Amino acid sequence: MQRRVVITAASAITPIGHGREDILRSLRDGVSGVKPLRSDDLLAPFIHSQVYGTVDYPIPYDFKRINRKTMGPVSYYACQVAKEVLEASGLDPEFITSGRLGVAFGSTHGSPTVQREIYRVFHSRDRASVSAIGAVDYLKSMVHTTAVNITKMFGITGRVIASSTACTTSSQSIGYGYESVKFGMQDAMLCGGADEYDTTTVAVFDNLLACSTGFNDEPRRTPRPFDVRRDGLVVGEGAGAVLLEEYEAARKRGATILAEVAGFACNNNGGDLILPNLAGIRETLRLSLREAGMEPGEVDLVSAHATATKMGDIIEAQAISAVYGDRPLVTALKGYMGHTMASCGVIETILTLYMMQEGFVAPTLNLEEVDERCAMIRHATSLEKTPVRAAAIQNFAFGGVNTSLVLRQAP
Amino acid sequence: MTREAIEAEIRKIFLQEFEIEDPAMDVDLREAYQFDSIDAIELLVEIERFLGSELTMEEKKRAMDIRTFRQICTYVEQLAQIRRAAGNLPIGDLCKEGS
Repeated sequence: MQRRVVITAASAITPIGHGREDILRSLRDGVSGVKPLRSDDLLAPFIHSQVYGTVDYPIPYDFKRINRKTMGPVSYYACQVAKEVLEASGLDPEFITSGRLGVAFGSTHGSPTVQREIYRVFHSRDRASVSAIGAVDYLKSMVHTTAVNITKMFGITGRVIASSTACTTSSQSIGYGYESVKFGMQDAMLCGGADEYDTTTVAVFDNLLACSTGFNDEPRRTPRPFDVRRDGLVVGEGAGAVLLEEYEAARKRGATILAEVAGFACNNNGGDLILPNLAGIRETLRLSLREAGMEPGEVDLVSAHATATKMGDIIEAQAISAVYGDRPLVTALKGYMGHTMASCGVIETILTLYMMQEGFVAPTLNLEEVDERCAMIRHATSLEKTPVRAAAIQNFAFGGVNTSLVLRQAP
Repeated sequence: MTREAIEAEIRKIFLQEFEIEDPAMDVDLREAYQFDSIDAIELLVEIERFLGSELTMEEKKRAMDIRTFRQICTYVEQLAQIRRAAGNLPIGDLCKEGS
């Protein structure tokens, strides 16, 4: 059984806005969501990189206590975008709880905010304090906390996939959700990812010399994907969710079809856990096109992973060049909001979806002078009004995991 | 510590910690208020705070059979009596004696 899969609803909380209109405005106006790193009374003052892709606007949460009690900050993000997607979808409540809808949702490592509190108690060496670790602390902090808080809130009884592969977490969520529907295991999948504000992640990348440190006084000027002055990634926070449905069922119920998921591929470099690998990435891009049954020339837009690290951007440009040549426009959306970690795949998918619908391509923010080693591809350096028939969203993670997702205009 | 004082304290905990206002005495808490096993564990922590002493594992396990608000009050009353008999007065009594 092989069925067509379409996206029928999407929602994102990002450093450049919450919801479609906010985000489109930021993309059109070239607004950056990178701000100064917040103080956390822990590591923040000692980290070289003092910038962060920040969600600093109020979010109107309206969750009952029965749901709130097992949610850390990351699950608030996840449940909010899931709620918005289900509301927008118009799905029948009976379908939502029928077992034919599943959830594929993940985060980098659950809720680090809650985990820190647990370890603080452990390290106190105070026997009486052990009981201060609440019964719900594990449920709030565990790796699959986002996925199961969503199932609980909406009574979803289908399969649960909780990928946690750092930067490919939510692109895998969409990909594995797509395969679940395509091969008939589920009729619909709610897919996405989320990550909360966390300086631990910044500290880790900072120690690996992978973070941007040269623009602490001008946060909006970094990260700078493909730019000659790029100096590393900027960690960020956010969440996104999409609803995938089997095409015929979506059409019959009169759902708004936003785009078709044409293909997905995921592979591993089979070696080094950090260094980007040209052969591995190139193969992923090719596999996703083969899966979609499309030629490279049919793809008008590539959403690059492009974190603005020295090596990563060059290897990715080489891979894009090898597979697509210099025809499709290439944009790197992290220029607007930094690297939102587990949510970057789904957020970049949603932004690409919006641009496909609106018929424009936002330029890579902060790309002022293309590094000549990345110059063999067609960079979007200014906003281009152009139809986008199909787009590829690519993401790569520590651990050598690569993904590529191909979207096509709604059938 | 009187039964009334215990009941008032448990009602306060239910309102503040579980957003359950004036629970009925004899209904099944799970069915009526979706009070689940997680809430039960959280309630034990609150009871420990109220009594000013840790519960033993046996005491905690015994709580797992509780289904109603009245049973909770009886459970706490018994715990308070045990501690009083052992010379460890619950905080409520200490406050009363100090005032």
